[in-house]
Amino acid sequence: MMPFLLFRSAFLYYISHLMNKSITIRSLLEDNKKRLKLKLICSVNGLNKKIFSGELNRPGLALAGYTGTFTFDRIQILGNTEISYLDGLSKQELHKSVDKFMEFDIPVIVITSENKPPEYLIQAATRRYVPILRTPIQTTEFTHLLGDYLQTCFAPRKSIHGSLVDVYGIGILFTGRSGIGKSEIALDLVERGHRLVADDLVIITRKAEDVLIGSGKENSEHMMEIRGIGLVDIKRMFGIRGVRMQKRVEVRVHLEDWNEDMEYERIGLDDKKCDILGVKIPQVVLPINPGKNITVISETIAMNQILSTYGYHTAKEFNKKLIKEMNEKKISPLAKDRSHLEKDFE
Amino acid sequence: MIEETLLVQNKHGLHARPAAHLVKIAGKFKSEIKIFKDGLEVNAKSIMGVMMLAAEPGSEVLLQINGPDESDALNQIKELFDKKFYEE
Repeated sequence: MMPFLLFRSAFLYYISHLMNKSITIRSLLEDNKKRLKLKLICSVNGLNKKIFSGELNRPGLALAGYTGTFTFDRIQILGNTEISYLDGLSKQELHKSVDKFMEFDIPVIVITSENKPPEYLIQAATRRYVPILRTPIQTTEFTHLLGDYLQTCFAPRKSIHGSLVDVYGIGILFTGRSGIGKSEIALDLVERGHRLVADDLVIITRKAEDVLIGSGKENSEHMMEIRGIGLVDIKRMFGIRGVRMQKRVEVRVHLEDWNEDMEYERIGLDDKKCDILGVKIPQVVLPINPGKNITVISETIAMNQILSTYGYHTAKEFNKKLIKEMNEKKISPLAKDRSHLEKDFE
Repeated sequence: MIEETLLVQNKHGLHARPAAHLVKIAGKFKSEIKIFKDGLEVNAKSIMGVMMLAAEPGSEVLLQINGPDESDALNQIKELFDKKFYEE
């Protein structure tokens, strides 16, 4: 029974790793060498090991012998506590503790606060190709800094078929069926002085709780396909002011073919929202029909969004005024006529 | 062509939400639908027009419908007024 269970859990573990993102210890080290003052102590040949989770572990209990819920596949941080515990052990106890610890497939060990790891730990790690990194930074600060980096690496991410344009500082994500004219609208907006972030393929990353950041793929370089022309190099054509690398996604504009039976928004009292990676952002469904200038409408959407960010909700304010006017009329039907005369003097 | 006088019975009068309801229903018909109040004449399919009537609670508006589906349109709009625009 035991071997089967072991095999099964190993298999599930393997599958979950295949589906998730990962980073190698090599890129962890290269990306943070300067910022985290990391130095490699041993096991260069273990740098291709991967981590699959952005979480850290302080293996104090595992070193003390309790490995029941040991999250060995995370980055293992050895701070003052762990090192002074190991230093206090007899040689025999140390070997026993380290050997048990090293039975697990640990991806990497980081020693903080310029601590010196016991020689036996380095030997065991070298045997098992487990890289040990060392930093002078204190544990708490180090976990904050590293957590920040890992959060970016493992942030929820998704690619969306659409165009992302910065319109008056508002990131508008255009979506809709292929060929409906997303790229043409983006091109028109760039022509009017707005900035293209990505066309066709937008990579959206969730930062913090409720912020979506959109960007293009690294190698797409602000290229755009326009039906009938082919590829258009927006950066070359419009210069640096016509593009930007990334932008917070603030509104989604979904383009649809005009459908007579569909009911479209007429007032805008209720804000429609859509869900991207668990974040709700305002959504506008725009029917396309001949003679409609979607570019100008997009600018209007952006400005309306800015107004609502500043606390002014057009439809609600208007409705408030209307209701007030009707209430006054209820009291005195003549009041309106007089106010009209007063206004006539201006 | 048919005409009928309707009473605005909901709490706040013909504000944005009831107006949107009215326009949505009016828009389904081919007939020309007009609303008259205090010397104003507006198209019932135009939201701004309907809101500009500022028909307060307790006031009356005159509905004028002209077209092939006028009686259907009148019935549905009448029902909307009677049901107080489904408010409250």
